[in-house]
Amino acid sequence: MRDPVTTVRPAAWPKTPALKVGPADDACNVLIVGVGGQGVIMVSKVLALLAQSQGFEVKQSEVHGMAKRGGSVFSHVRFGKRVWSPTIPKGDVDILVALEWAEGLRWLPFLKAGSGIFICDTKRIVPPFACLNRKPGAPMRYSKETPAEVVAHVGEAYAIDATDMAEQLGNERAANVVLLGALSTALDFSSTDWERTVAEFVPKKTIPVNLEAFRRGRGWIEDARTSTPAVDVPAPTPATAAPYRIRLDINPAWCKSCDICVKMCPERCLILNAERIAELAAPDKCTGCRLCEWLCPDFAIRVNLDAPEALAR
Amino acid sequence: MYIETAADFDVTDYLRKEMMPHFLCPGCGHGIALRALLWAIHDLGLDRDKLAVVSGIGCAGRLSAYIDANTFHVTHGRPLAYATGLALARPDLHVVVITGDGDCLAIGGNHLIHACRRNLKLTCLMLNNEVYGMTGGQVSPTTSETRLTTTTPLGNQEPHFDACALATAAGAGFVGREVTHHVPKLKELIKAGLEHPGFAFVEVLSDCTEIFGRKNDMGSSSDMMMRQKSEIRPSAYLDTVDTPFRSNALPTGVLTRNDRPEYGAAYRQAASARAGTSS
Amino acid sequence: MNAIDPTLTGKNAVKLISGNHACALGAIAAGCRFFAGYPITPSSEIAERLARSLPEVDGVFVQMEDEIASIAAVIGASMGGVKAMTATSGPGFSLKQENIGYAAGAEIPCVIVNVMRGGPSTGMPTRPSQADIMQARWGSHGDYPIIVLTPASVSEIYSETIRAFDLAEQCRTPVVLLYDQVIAQLSETVALDGAGHASATRKWASGPRADYKPYDGGSDAIPAMAKPGDGYRTHTTGLTHGEDGFPTQNPEAVTRNLSRLFSKLERHRDLIDSSEALHCDDADVVIVAIGISARAATRAVEQCRAQGARVGLFRPITFWPFPEMQLRQATANARAVLVPEMNTGQLRLVVERVLAGMPVEGIHLFSGEAIAPSDIAARATALARGA
Repeated sequence: MRDPVTTVRPAAWPKTPALKVGPADDACNVLIVGVGGQGVIMVSKVLALLAQSQGFEVKQSEVHGMAKRGGSVFSHVRFGKRVWSPTIPKGDVDILVALEWAEGLRWLPFLKAGSGIFICDTKRIVPPFACLNRKPGAPMRYSKETPAEVVAHVGEAYAIDATDMAEQLGNERAANVVLLGALSTALDFSSTDWERTVAEFVPKKTIPVNLEAFRRGRGWIEDARTSTPAVDVPAPTPATAAPYRIRLDINPAWCKSCDICVKMCPERCLILNAERIAELAAPDKCTGCRLCEWLCPDFAIRVNLDAPEALAR
Repeated sequence: MYIETAADFDVTDYLRKEMMPHFLCPGCGHGIALRALLWAIHDLGLDRDKLAVVSGIGCAGRLSAYIDANTFHVTHGRPLAYATGLALARPDLHVVVITGDGDCLAIGGNHLIHACRRNLKLTCLMLNNEVYGMTGGQVSPTTSETRLTTTTPLGNQEPHFDACALATAAGAGFVGREVTHHVPKLKELIKAGLEHPGFAFVEVLSDCTEIFGRKNDMGSSSDMMMRQKSEIRPSAYLDTVDTPFRSNALPTGVLTRNDRPEYGAAYRQAASARAGTSS
Repeated sequence: MNAIDPTLTGKNAVKLISGNHACALGAIAAGCRFFAGYPITPSSEIAERLARSLPEVDGVFVQMEDEIASIAAVIGASMGGVKAMTATSGPGFSLKQENIGYAAGAEIPCVIVNVMRGGPSTGMPTRPSQADIMQARWGSHGDYPIIVLTPASVSEIYSETIRAFDLAEQCRTPVVLLYDQVIAQLSETVALDGAGHASATRKWASGPRADYKPYDGGSDAIPAMAKPGDGYRTHTTGLTHGEDGFPTQNPEAVTRNLSRLFSKLERHRDLIDSSEALHCDDADVVIVAIGISARAATRAVEQCRAQGARVGLFRPITFWPFPEMQLRQATANARAVLVPEMNTGQLRLVVERVLAGMPVEGIHLFSGEAIAPSDIAARATALARGA
């Protein structure tokens, strides 16, 4: 699903040059978060490998959320002269890189108050459980915060439509490398070293597209720093109007009161009425999933999805 | 997507509505299997004038009467033999057999193995509810061990048949199994069977709530369906180790598919080759 | 029996063939295009011949997995509109009975050949018998009518096979062709004159689907059959059914349908009946016999007549429905009836019932041997002389 948010630049753009986190005495803490399948681990491994090649001690620890596509994934990368703990304490993250908008928001409390850098894709991956019900067009519990609201709470923030940029390059999967490019502007490693490390990591055939993605990400941040801040575009709320109206035809003459529909309905919106005939008791909950129609052994239920035009006529 | 025809498929278009409601007990899974069959027929756009449904005796056997097609309700155990004659004599017809576990595996077992071996283009839908429902709940060749039936008051001591393994061993070109709960998947399986050029055997794990379920304290139809669902292992997961399925779970999905020569076509080809040499 | 027509000149017009081959060729001539069978002595030559001959006429031969499957496949093929036949002997005939009842009840035309051999059970597979007369009539459960033909020569097997198909199609009924092992494997000269035979066709449904009733007997008690593919989409069942073909247990509907089923054959006795009376008009003693026993009896009649004994022969060719009226006519002047048969008295039982009050005596041989003409002649002569 294409994200409704187009490229967004922070409204409250920091006037000071970007904080360059570099080889200081304290370890540098980078937290990379996203959704399974986006390439969170790849970003963290590139960073870890690069830091290691530059002579730092590196600790990288990851939790790939059930390793399942769609689950929450995060990876801690810590590097410095000496690094003891493998994970970053809450509030100690120097740079938070988020490949998905809500995941970025979820981890914001880990960012260092006042100075932390937030680099976030505006890509929205809505988990099934964020739907308030299973009706088509149903309202979602997905975060409503706009980038502008977030920017006000962190030291430095970039909301970047990396997915769109990667798509323009012909490979949506390179979005993580766009963000890697964005991340690179915040660290004192040379772009040559970055690009060499990226090239080591990605499949040979995809090296050109990934390097281009890296450069676009890097370029985007540099542009953003020099140009006038764009107006914040709030994320439009998703349409709540269903594309059709659900209508159940229940044939009482064929219903044999077996109650399969009642028990199998995921929304529990059917009952057996006083005559022990199936009846739609909670039409507002019905999602039109057809399970009752399919599982009725007596062909007594028909689920109709009436198009709005048909209703209007 | 496999359910994209859900909206334009109205099962009542394919039923003999004057025969409805059907005679099956409340909650009988056979009605769900019938829907899946009719949906598959709808999806394939089969001409019902050219569709012949042959069924045997028992609860499953009665289903043919509800289908608006050329339907033949024949003798106990013999639908495959009738269908063999019909399909050989009329290769222009699409012949489907509906049978039950007793009809197909006990009294009709011989016809099943030879239909598998012969590989004539037929689709055999075996509705397995583990029991002789119509006669009041006697043990069948697929009744699970220890189950109570009217003729196994001590619990069934006989091992049960794995119908799909039997069909595969006998040489069926297409063998598959599905539960009634997975209606779209069942429809797709039957569709694949209908499209198979040779003999296709599809076992549907159905439920007999009123007789078998009640006798064995198995709860409602939905309970029985959910239990069945928990006891299967889709064939896609057969070769994987790290799955939540039990090792003895019943495999479902397409279990066998090969392209052995179809008997009817092979016979006609041999006959015309012979005619060519003799003239 | 049937005189060879000397005007037949075709290359295949006259042949020396066995009864079983004559049956196969008669079937082809009658338009049979489907045969399903299972090997059994002494009928296997029919299957072997048709396995070769059917593919030549775009027909289908299939050897099924058992006797039951064979009759089932035959009925299945006929439900598809193709003339179909199976052939068997006693044990196989027993196995087929349930499905023969189905064909009778659902009114599916088909021809079943039973080459009788000695029994009971496996009995004497290679020896003749005439002990399936009753099984042919009453073998399946419940009440049902059936046509049974009993040819007595190779050429009559040929012509009666053709007639069996005609009757099956015209009356929508199974027809049993019943003959014994002797004529099955006897070779005789046969005029294969059936090729030009205008075979009877089934009455097919026509007109709008909404008006069509699959089991409405109409004016002749024979319902028109819907051919799959013609758009009628009917239901066929072995359950008792109404005119619409769907199961019913309504007492009136059940009675009406079964009554029509029986009246169907009674009303077409003119088509069905066939018998032969030889020297019966003045006969003091009438011999009643079928098959090979009738041939022996023919010789016996000649011997009796030569000795001055007024003996005749009545031979049912259509055995069921039994030609009762014809038998009564043939024995109108007789004082006694002699029934030579290769069983313990099945035909005699029928004759005794039809000719109640008439002295009926039997010659029953069930040793696996055919009855000798001299044995029949001796007893007939004695009866004619009042002994």
